[in-house]
Amino acid sequence: MIRILKYLRGYLRIRVRGFSPERFMNLCSNRGILLWDIVREDDGYCMYISLKGFWELRPIVKKTGTRVAVLERYGLPFFLPGLMKRKVFVLGMALAVIFWLWSSGYVWSINLYGNYRITDDMFMSFLEQNGVTVGMNRKNLNIGELEKRIRRNFPLVTWVSAKLDGTKLIIDLKENDVPPVEDDEKETAGTDLVADYSGVVVSMIVRSGVPKVSIGDTVEAGALLVEGKIPICNDDATVREYRYVDADADIVLEYGISHTESLPLDYVKKVYTGREKQSRYLRFGSSRLSLPRSKPYLVYDSLIRESTPIVFKKLSVPVAMGICTYREYQNVEYKYTDEEAEAELTKKLNDFLASLEEKGVQIIEKNVTISMYDDRWVLEGGFMVRGPVKKRIPTEKVVIGESEEDDRQ
Amino acid sequence: MESLRLPKDILMGAIKVTLTGCREAWIENYRGILEYTDKQILLQGKTCQVCFEGTRLSIDYYTNEDMKISGCIACVRYL
Repeated sequence: MIRILKYLRGYLRIRVRGFSPERFMNLCSNRGILLWDIVREDDGYCMYISLKGFWELRPIVKKTGTRVAVLERYGLPFFLPGLMKRKVFVLGMALAVIFWLWSSGYVWSINLYGNYRITDDMFMSFLEQNGVTVGMNRKNLNIGELEKRIRRNFPLVTWVSAKLDGTKLIIDLKENDVPPVEDDEKETAGTDLVADYSGVVVSMIVRSGVPKVSIGDTVEAGALLVEGKIPICNDDATVREYRYVDADADIVLEYGISHTESLPLDYVKKVYTGREKQSRYLRFGSSRLSLPRSKPYLVYDSLIRESTPIVFKKLSVPVAMGICTYREYQNVEYKYTDEEAEAELTKKLNDFLASLEEKGVQIIEKNVTISMYDDRWVLEGGFMVRGPVKKRIPTEKVVIGESEEDDRQ
Repeated sequence: MESLRLPKDILMGAIKVTLTGCREAWIENYRGILEYTDKQILLQGKTCQVCFEGTRLSIDYYTNEDMKISGCIACVRYL
């Protein structure tokens, strides 16, 4: 501690020569000037003296007739003027401090925790609408108001807490885990299930509605399978009224479909020439700073690799450095060989079959042929499949009076 | 004077010397240095003089109140 104080105030090493250095020391101590590490050297004394004490030496030196020589200088008062000579360095340091102070007055990143059903994008666009963005002034941020708005705008959010941690805005929220209660009994206009393909009904489980076909029946496309109109009869078996429901049933229909895929005889492939050019750039927020460059090659693609220095990551400053690599390529035309064409077409077919399976369609039989025509490869396939019926149409409304009239006719 | 129990060094103006082995000495109540070499340090007190003899003697610090001598002290003499 004493050392630091000494360093801050500055001290010197001096050599005292002359008639009576002892008297010099006595006078110094009388005036309260601290001397330390006094060492006798051949023709004088070397000692340390504080800078303040040194300025008071003149009368003592005159009185004692000694001569004082400064050997070395220590401490901040001697270091600072040397530093001030390096103007650019000092300026840089001052600018760095100013930049640091200035940038700490802004919000540089927004972190969101606890959102599951509200996506980040939804939340960010909401924040943007409310004027909360990356790079906004911290003074303009009213956290209490922001929390209120979040709660008002997202009814799903049961609890929200926003806080500023340095230049980071941290929003913690909790969503309502209990699903909102839906009204079970809805008035519906009623829908029917109809066949989307012509085929045979393989299985049928009806949960609501009136079945119009039975297992083993052959139906045409568009045929009514389950009607969403349930008749309510009077005692005399006449229909009093109809209750309309959404027909609900698991019906599996077996039907045939065909599918064709075609492939041109030749294709264009990127062949990299191996020539590459690189350019570096700096990115601030959304604006990019790079050396202007003409088009590097006639045909090329570019690969961007970007990284943020850890310092900026910690400070949450949106600055990133990147390298853009341009790779030249040539478009070369190739002809498919038989094997390649078959593999390519099979791949396409498998994609199609996978998409069918995703819909819950089961494939019973398949019959695929690949043939080459003048200008293309063609894959033709016929499939026998079993799939669920999902097509719905609105139920036809019947007014009771009209139906009675129809009966009479 | 005894009954007042006041420190004698202040009342009598006597030099106070504290020795730690033969390596260090703290001195209070002195007037000044009369002579200083690495073999001998002669101090002026209010009533007497004190001479420290030895080898490699040096003054670690020196103020109006107290001072510290270090080195190899062989002898303390009152003159």
